[in-house]
Amino acid sequence: MSMTREIPVRLFGAFRQGRPDSTLTVEVGADARVAELRQAMHSALDSDSARALLKASAFATDTEVLDDDQPVPEREISILPPVCGG
Amino acid sequence: MIHVDITEAVLDPIAALSHCAADSHGAADLFIGRVRNLNDGRAVTAVSYDLHPVLCKNIFAEICREAQAQWGDHIHVYLVHRQGRLEVGEASVITAVSSPHRAHSFEACRYLIEQMKVRAPIWKQEHYVDGDSEWIKGHALRNPA
Repeated sequence: MSMTREIPVRLFGAFRQGRPDSTLTVEVGADARVAELRQAMHSALDSDSARALLKASAFATDTEVLDDDQPVPEREISILPPVCGG
Repeated sequence: MIHVDITEAVLDPIAALSHCAADSHGAADLFIGRVRNLNDGRAVTAVSYDLHPVLCKNIFAEICREAQAQWGDHIHVYLVHRQGRLEVGEASVITAVSSPHRAHSFEACRYLIEQMKVRAPIWKQEHYVDGDSEWIKGHALRNPA
């Protein structure tokens, strides 16, 4: 029996375009790495522009930006589009 | 001393310079980033700043610690960014540094703003005179395969 986890991903910047809520929940394997989370997001996003943005985006917790080969941590996860402060 | 923050309030350059002061510091540098009225040939009326508050403050503190590691623990460092909708002319970010001599203040102050722009989780949506709005393309935090 395969175990899965539901991951609520906080959305920022252009990912919020046209979305009243700022979270997208996706399902991944219990021992998933960030690359699997990225693939799940790709399937869940509803536009080509959002999927293109995903390619250039990073996943992060409140304390660090995650690499794709890291396990998905048991903490709040955000998806961060390319940044442009200032 | 390090001070970082995210705020919806109007930024205060005097507060930055008050933080960046010490009897042994003969130099203080202040940088203010403002919303300008033109970008890529389009007339801009305002910019909305979205950001990840907790991670943003963590990254700000990390950048400030790096500045102290490079130019000395004794320098005073200040980095504050606004969030929400800002009109043309309003200040979006202030960086400031004080140090015993000017070279370190100049260099560290520039380091803060340059690193902030490519590392801090901040996004801006420009609003144009014609009523259109657009999220600005930025710097990728990671480059996945």
